[in-house]
Amino acid sequence: MPDTLAHPVRFGSNAGQPVTRRDGIAKVTGTATFTADNSPENLLHAVYVPATIARGRVTHLDVAAAEAHPGVTMVMTPGNRPALQGDPSAKPTMFSFRIEVLQDDSVRYAGQPIALVLGETLEAATEGARLLNPRYAAEPARTRIDDDEAAPVEPGGFGRPAGVEHGDVAAGHAAATKAIDVTYETSAQYHNAMETHAVVAQWEGDKLSLDVPSQALLMSCAGYAYFFGIPAENVTIRAPYLGGGFGSKAIPTGPQVLAILAAKETGRPVKLMLTRQQMFGPVGHRGATRQRLRLGIDDGAALTVIDHEGLAATSSFDDFVEPAANASQGLYAAGALRSAHRAVRLDVGTPGPMRAPGEASGSAALECAMDEMAEAAGIDPLEFRLRNYAETEPGTGKPYSSKALRECYMQGAERFGWSGRPLLPRQMKDENGLLTGWGMGTALFPCPMFAADARATLRSDGSALVETSAIDMGQGAWTALAQIAADSLGLPLDMVEFRAGHSSLPDGGVAGGSGHTATAGGALHAAGGDVIRQLGEIAAADPESPLHGAGNAAFSARDGRLYVDGDDSRSDSFADILARAGSAELVGNGSASRAPEDAEKFSMHSHGAVFAEVKVDPDLCQVRVTRMVGAFAAGRIINPKLAESQLLGGMIWGISFALHEEAKHDPRTGRIVNADFAGYHVPVNADVTGLEVLTVHEDDPYVNALGIKGVGEIGIVGSVGAIANAIWHATGHRIRRFPIRIEDLLTA
Amino acid sequence: MSGHKLSLVVNGERVEADVPSNRLLSEFLRDDLALTGTKRGCETGVCGACSVLVDGDVVKSCLSLAVQMNGREITTVEGLGRVGALHPLQQQFMEKGGLQCGYCTPGFLMAAVDLLKRNPNPDDAEIREGLSGNLCRCTGYQGIVDAIRSTAEAGHGA
Amino acid sequence: MSYLTPKSTEEALALLGQAGADVLAGGTDFFPSRGTRPQTRSILDLGQIDSLRGIEKTARGWRIGAMTTWSQIQRADLPPAFDALKRAAREVGSVQIQNRGTIAGNLCNASPAADGVPPLLALNAEVEIGSPGATRRVALSDFVTGVRRVALSPGELVLAVHVPSLPDDAVSHFLKLGSRRYLVISIAMTAAVLELDGPRIATARVAVGACSPVAQRLPGLEAALVGLTAAEVAALPVVPETHLAPLAPIADVRGSAAYRMRAVADLCRRTVIAAMTGGTTDE
Repeated sequence: MPDTLAHPVRFGSNAGQPVTRRDGIAKVTGTATFTADNSPENLLHAVYVPATIARGRVTHLDVAAAEAHPGVTMVMTPGNRPALQGDPSAKPTMFSFRIEVLQDDSVRYAGQPIALVLGETLEAATEGARLLNPRYAAEPARTRIDDDEAAPVEPGGFGRPAGVEHGDVAAGHAAATKAIDVTYETSAQYHNAMETHAVVAQWEGDKLSLDVPSQALLMSCAGYAYFFGIPAENVTIRAPYLGGGFGSKAIPTGPQVLAILAAKETGRPVKLMLTRQQMFGPVGHRGATRQRLRLGIDDGAALTVIDHEGLAATSSFDDFVEPAANASQGLYAAGALRSAHRAVRLDVGTPGPMRAPGEASGSAALECAMDEMAEAAGIDPLEFRLRNYAETEPGTGKPYSSKALRECYMQGAERFGWSGRPLLPRQMKDENGLLTGWGMGTALFPCPMFAADARATLRSDGSALVETSAIDMGQGAWTALAQIAADSLGLPLDMVEFRAGHSSLPDGGVAGGSGHTATAGGALHAAGGDVIRQLGEIAAADPESPLHGAGNAAFSARDGRLYVDGDDSRSDSFADILARAGSAELVGNGSASRAPEDAEKFSMHSHGAVFAEVKVDPDLCQVRVTRMVGAFAAGRIINPKLAESQLLGGMIWGISFALHEEAKHDPRTGRIVNADFAGYHVPVNADVTGLEVLTVHEDDPYVNALGIKGVGEIGIVGSVGAIANAIWHATGHRIRRFPIRIEDLLTA
Repeated sequence: MSGHKLSLVVNGERVEADVPSNRLLSEFLRDDLALTGTKRGCETGVCGACSVLVDGDVVKSCLSLAVQMNGREITTVEGLGRVGALHPLQQQFMEKGGLQCGYCTPGFLMAAVDLLKRNPNPDDAEIREGLSGNLCRCTGYQGIVDAIRSTAEAGHGA
Repeated sequence: MSYLTPKSTEEALALLGQAGADVLAGGTDFFPSRGTRPQTRSILDLGQIDSLRGIEKTARGWRIGAMTTWSQIQRADLPPAFDALKRAAREVGSVQIQNRGTIAGNLCNASPAADGVPPLLALNAEVEIGSPGATRRVALSDFVTGVRRVALSPGELVLAVHVPSLPDDAVSHFLKLGSRRYLVISIAMTAAVLELDGPRIATARVAVGACSPVAQRLPGLEAALVGLTAAEVAALPVVPETHLAPLAPIADVRGSAAYRMRAVADLCRRTVIAAMTGGTTDE
């Protein structure tokens, strides 16, 4: 058998095009099916009762009143909860956290489930839950970060970040001719995807079918299976669409496990959908931080040291620590570099990854500190960053797989008009007398890959079916992955049927970490390549094919035909090759993950530069972000339209982080007092004007076969600091606490 | 729970139903009529995902009881247009990228219909104000404004 | 729970007398404010009583039916003295809320941050209250008595809001301050209704919401404004604290007390100037 080097066209006519979303039609017509849209026959509705204290015990529930309510079929409490096979404190999969499933009467945070009520209708279950009227033995709630209670983090993988120390940090401090020592605080934020967490559970024997929004279908199958003592393959998850995830929908949560348990116990399908208020507790959040940054520079404004200490709030019973200080690890060239983490245990739900975990909070503090350092040095903030540009990864000296940050700085600054910026604050007013300021921040985000598998099936009519259990939570997987798959097969997009969002398909991995398109796309790319390779073998061996005997040549595939590389006169159509071979179809498989040797050799990051303009009312101190330009270098962009949408969304999350989002606890009960959309503010349309995204192309042969770095999270990263720095530039006030509130400016 | 007779028109069709008097309009549409395009997002009338038209005016269906709708005419996203016969706004939301996860999309569409009915040629500020009763957590606001502007510019506003 | 749909005011009052029901107007705050409390009482839906909707000119002013929605108020043909009320109407929640929410619902909710109250206070509005066989009127300032408390006896219903006649050239304005652009529960809001004598203020009525349990008029400030031109108002150094004495802002998730006091002083001045100059200052 001769070597067959059939490599398909690496990037064909599909990837790179601003193709309109393939899922758009379902979404604008209301036919896209989200979890709670499913209502199987004989359905029971579940409603859980959230604790209204943050610490203590439940002493009484009026179960009789709830049970007596017409339509209520079951009230589940710690007293009668059926057994679970798995330990609620175990962590069966990556990203897992310890869950509350009525294992006892203790309350560890407000919002934790303390009972589950089932009813024939949602109204009956809801009313039953209201009638339970819980009483508590409450203990004082701890909801504020207190330095005295902080403890160092024992590094241990997910949620327990290790710090780094490069160079001589003490010497770096000593060598500084100018230095700053500043502390920034960030607030607890809640993901609040528009679709709340939900589940529709149905058992058939020991087989479990779930509709559940999941950012990691196969991993979630394993997680749920663990709690019910069944093999992972007994669990099927359907999740064609997620109404947003942002990191909160990767793993099983307590309320969802309880609903599944109720379905098992009753033998009927059960639906649970969290209310908006219930999203503030058992489904993760971005933990509050307090970060100390000590920076020093020499006479040439070169950083002698970046010393970043993060203190993060976590729950009293689990370990996720926001890895904020890690944001300082890979960005600026400093003589010495230290990042370290401590944690403080509070009576709050366990935090988890939320869009740009670590980077968002850490960069907010770092970019403000950089601005303060530039101010101290008396030089322009962009110039200061350029002087400390890292040509190789700080500390390790590893080369970057690619890094077009300089181009981002230049193109973003040009587009924004940065060169006209006065150095000193409070110099600009607009025609209405509003104080105007410009600020900037650098964006950095790693480009991880998970592991994924895919299958491509070429059909006898020349069309293809490609399959992976990929997840679309809004980022555009249905479209971008189909574009990659079409290119891998050398087919026009409309000849490719793409199936995803079901756990019976090959494992699409995790939609998170900005790594999904690279990972699932890589698997699809490989699967298509496998088909083309086989097709080449068949054709080369087929005396009737124009490709006969070309086995040692390379083939390329385009428009449904296989060509001998460099000789367009020799080609054969997919359909003809299959027809002559008598094959109804040809199946290829592929998988993707990061090549370990590349990961070892290179520092792999997306970069960007964000420039912001704010206007501040001099009397009322209201802040409006009036203009932002973000320039991002994130490798290959598969679909510019979708990527721009992701990056814009990230920048708006930056506005939200800087000015709006904060969960506030009642100091007495520990309850979150603004646990709804009326009180927990996210930007509305009118808050968002004048945003612009530029993408700077990078060819990166090392990150993965497709050169994709990912765009889901980086948009938020530089934006927070850019806005805060613009506020300083407008007003002369450094507000070192996020979100920046008008009263902070007024009393500054 | 006492049932209540209800007669209304939904997406052009007469519907007679017997519903519990405490059932919200949003749940009636979703559970009883299987019109699941209307979404539940906050149950407090803030997020707008449950927006529908009642007698042509946009309202939040999580704030109304189904029984309040006796004699009314309701339009949901399913009644706006369908595959092959899209409403111009649906077409433009698709083309301009006015959606990401799609969960808020039906609500935004219904608010946009109401906006263009009142103001067939809104400027960007009026569009943003008219949509301020709808939240998008993917924050795809720019594409949504673009979609409505281009619908209006094509003369489909009225 | 039973659900009652009277077709007339008389029927509504009769049912209310028998059943002791919760009254449902536009419903925009009915369900959210219920929270986790069970619904035990009957619901009396006023939605089918046509006579409770609409705005009419009367001999002594205007009568706004209790069930008139904020959208209807925005679109009504009313003189400039109502501009403040119309502006407030645009700020109630969102378009969806304005299409359902009613003027009487906003008053009876008695939220300290109710958008409708400051402009109606500045318009000297009165509330028409019905009970079986009788009606009475109370000044709005006497009607709202506290947070979520109004001067309604059991069995009574608000039937209308009356606004006394104003000179045709009276002007008004309303401003609301919040941290987000829309969907905001106010940090502070101000309404001003002014009668002018040429370029000068002849009479001023200024009311502030969200800075005390019940929205308040500021008589001291109103008196001090008389005789001033817009330019003179703009040149006022600060609003003296004594003029803000009726206010008692609280610190809550939306803003500290000190911030509210400082903001409201500035908002008052801006509101008055905007009313006089036809300004379009948006906050």
